[in-house]
Amino acid sequence: MAHPTQLGFQDAASPVMEELLHFHDHALMIVFLISTLVLYIIIAMVSTKLTNKYILDSQEIEIVWTILPAVILVLIALPSLRILYLMDEINDPHLTIKAMGHQWYWSYEYTDYENLGFDSYMVPTQDLAPGQFRLLETDHRMVVPMESPVRILVSAEDVLHSWAVPSLGVKMDAVPGRLNQTAFIASRPGVFYGQCSEICGANHSFMPIVVEAVPLEHFENWSSLMLEDA
Amino acid sequence: MSLPKPAMRGLLAKRLRFHLPIAFGLSLIAAAAFKFGVTEPRKKAYADFYKHYDSMKEFSAMKEAGIFESVRPTGK
Repeated sequence: MAHPTQLGFQDAASPVMEELLHFHDHALMIVFLISTLVLYIIIAMVSTKLTNKYILDSQEIEIVWTILPAVILVLIALPSLRILYLMDEINDPHLTIKAMGHQWYWSYEYTDYENLGFDSYMVPTQDLAPGQFRLLETDHRMVVPMESPVRILVSAEDVLHSWAVPSLGVKMDAVPGRLNQTAFIASRPGVFYGQCSEICGANHSFMPIVVEAVPLEHFENWSSLMLEDA
Repeated sequence: MSLPKPAMRGLLAKRLRFHLPIAFGLSLIAAAAFKFGVTEPRKKAYADFYKHYDSMKEFSAMKEAGIFESVRPTGK
């Protein structure tokens, strides 16, 4: 989850998010390169009274400041497209979960083997236990096996929502009448938080997502228990 | 005694000839500083974290700390 005074991304918990982190570092490096150049030139130009009103054109500089930006754009585009295609690879998921957006909660359906489904409401602030996170905890978490490819089918029952978990590098719009697919692998066990990312009404900020990644054996025990309770 | 004639033309060009290489140099230094101060250490930190990562050991520690809802601490 995010912490106060945080500036960068949350720690990556999936291989795709690690790639996104490194790409962001690469793009930000280029941003600092250009910004330093421009800032220095601005300061050098405003700190003098010298002018030149008689230069009308210069082919050389025009070529330089066309080719150089084109090269920089290629240097950004190549790793970007690489990640785009990486995210789209066929990954043979072990599990498929449907995440349905409602006003104002998520519901999850595990229908690969049995029909397991449950709603996931935010825990109100006054009901939080000590140590729990305000506006992030839910009464039922989406449990997944760790280190396994998981497919998420995202849709909505009423208005637009968006299922997002930053540390897993996942965000997918939930559109009524449409099934959107995304996938992730939780690289390590843990609890990963996200929030609805498409304005959906009064309680848009109060329908969080909690993903719990545990070993397969514990995931199977959990799903059996949930089926018994249902 | 006569003074040498001062330069009266090309003063802005001279200023640009002085400052532009410094501007390019500084921007490359800024990029290199970010690359070797942030980008490479971050890659190394992730590589080092996963090099000897024991997911079951970490899971057990998290379980005993009580952070999971699907599996409760065993009290060991």
